[in-house]
Amino acid sequence: MKPRHFLAFSLILLMPVMAYAGAAQKPIIDGYMAAAKAENAAFSGFSADRGKAFFLAKHDASPETPSCTTCHTADPTKAGQTRAGKDVAPMAVSKTPDRFTDAEKVEKWFTRNCQSVIGRACTAQEKGDFITFMASL
Amino acid sequence: MESNSSQMTPATVPVWDIGVRIFHWALLAAVFVAAMTGFFGSPDSLQIHLIAGISISLLVLFRLIWGFSGSTYARFRTFLFSPVKVRERIQEMRAGRHTRYIGHNPLGAWMIFALLASLIFIVCTGTVVLGGVFKQGPLAFITSFATGRFVQEIHQILAFGLVGLIGLHLAGVAYETVFGKEKLISAMISGNKPAGSNVPAPRFAPARPIVALIAFIALGMAGTTGVASFASRPGLGVPTAAIDPLYAKECGACHFAYHPSMGTAALWDGVLSHLDQHFGEDASLPDATRAQLAAYLKENSSEHWDTRIAHVLATANPKEPLRFTATRFWTRMHREIPDQVFASKAVGFKGACNACHSDAKTGLFAPQNIEIPEGARL
Ligand code: HEC
Ligand code: HEC
Ligand code: HEC
Repeated sequence: MKPRHFLAFSLILLMPVMAYAGAAQKPIIDGYMAAAKAENAAFSGFSADRGKAFFLAKHDASPETPSCTTCHTADPTKAGQTRAGKDVAPMAVSKTPDRFTDAEKVEKWFTRNCQSVIGRACTAQEKGDFITFMASL
Repeated sequence: MESNSSQMTPATVPVWDIGVRIFHWALLAAVFVAAMTGFFGSPDSLQIHLIAGISISLLVLFRLIWGFSGSTYARFRTFLFSPVKVRERIQEMRAGRHTRYIGHNPLGAWMIFALLASLIFIVCTGTVVLGGVFKQGPLAFITSFATGRFVQEIHQILAFGLVGLIGLHLAGVAYETVFGKEKLISAMISGNKPAGSNVPAPRFAPARPIVALIAFIALGMAGTTGVASFASRPGLGVPTAAIDPLYAKECGACHFAYHPSMGTAALWDGVLSHLDQHFGEDASLPDATRAQLAAYLKENSSEHWDTRIAHVLATANPKEPLRFTATRFWTRMHREIPDQVFASKAVGFKGACNACHSDAKTGLFAPQNIEIPEGARL
């Protein structure tokens, strides 16, 4: 086999795997998509830009945790740290591929962190935007 | 027997053989280290204290063997004096008279036995403390924390007693040096004393170093093997089961998972009942998960264990009953550590016990396993 052929052949073999890695978060996004449509009839899709703004925004529900960046750092490709000193793996899917793949875990943390930071539950649109942003990095 | 001919009498006679002299000065060093670490040490000097204690045990073991196999004046039989002799000696001292003994005089001899006995008691009580309080060593499997704490008081009283005995011993040496014109300190270095005595010399005995060595190795090995086999048994009331994986996952997400034996049932109940307001954060969990954790923590709370941490953290601070770091014990133990150290990235907060206590996950908190991480040191 010539090297060029070998490369092409490998790429073909790898394609399903690569597609899968991108799609690992799809079921959860789809779930939030349906919920967002139910919440708001005018909903027209998630946006990474809105997700980024939401991630960086400052809130005043709690002086200890004013923002998602308090623990996840402003650069989601970097590891963060909890208030109690424990490292948190990067939120960017490119760095931590199994992010947003376990629906129960995702809901548990949205419930907690939205309550801690914003003082209310997040909407389905905010959640979907957030994940879309993290998957885009 | 003593020679009466003045030409035959050498200027000096050998009294303290090399075994006695090395024993004496090595014991002095070991007792000094044990006393300094015991009276003034911090938890991290416990290891040195233990090494000093083990050295003292081995030295005393050697001396007991040498008391039967050393040269004449090393042997116990040459300085066994009845209380009557001791009384006579005291009366003599009062009257300003002086009988010269080549070896120990009766009062000095009693002091030697008192020192040896006191050291044996101190080593034994120390082993009980090590077993009961720290759950280490040969008695850990059998000694409760309460026993360890109680015996700790005795260990301390005995240690003060030993300091008193050493003071008297030094006073005796000073008295002999000044009033008896005996150069006792140089005799303990060179081993020799001027000849001439007004009490008959004891029956001559040669040193038997090979016998002593064999006895020392045999008893030492038997002792070490026994100690090691007892020490390998699990400590009384020490948790050994692995941490429940669900608990480790859920309660180890933001900080290390505190060992269940650190908290009372009341503390765990309080924490689990207010997970939505968890020290300024929402840590809420689905009810089913929470119930599972509650059952696990209740079954393994500090009431079920006899470790030091289970006892010392059990008295909650009424102002902040859910924090280990608010207890009197904790604040006292960590009062010298500046706030910046806890706030540093390498630690995080006061409750990140595992950053400095490498065995925090097991709930053991041994004094030997404390080290402030490098990045946090000022
Ligand atoms: C107090 C610290 C803290 C803050 C503030 C915080 N988080 Fe988190 N977050 C965590 C921790 C810890 C985890 C668990 C990390 C892990 O599993 O590696 C987590 C996990 C998550 C997850 C689940 C990720 C996954 O692997 O499925 C989501 C989603 C999330 N956070 C969203 C947010 C959002 C949105 C905000 C801001 C509104 C926020 N977080 C603010 C600490 C925080
Ligand atoms: C969402 C993150 C998070 C989770 C999950 C979490 N904790 Fe905490 N915990 C914290 C924070 C933050 C603190 C306090 C930090 C500070 O004081 O700065 C804390 C403090 C504590 C303290 C007090 C420590 C002290 O002595 O100061 C206890 C006890 C505790 N947690 C128990 C638990 C238990 C039990 C669980 C599991 C049910 C749990 N935690 C889960 C974040 C969390
Ligand atoms: C910043 C590092 C650090 C943190 C975090 C820390 N400790 Fe300590 N701890 C120490 C040091 C250092 C000592 C020894 C103090 C001394 O030398 O007097 C100590 C002593 C102790 C002792 C006494 C040890 C002994 O044998 O006498 C206990 C028990 C203890 N810590 C428990 C805890 C618990 C429980 C936590 C978490 C709630 C904790 N520590 C958090 C550094 C730390």
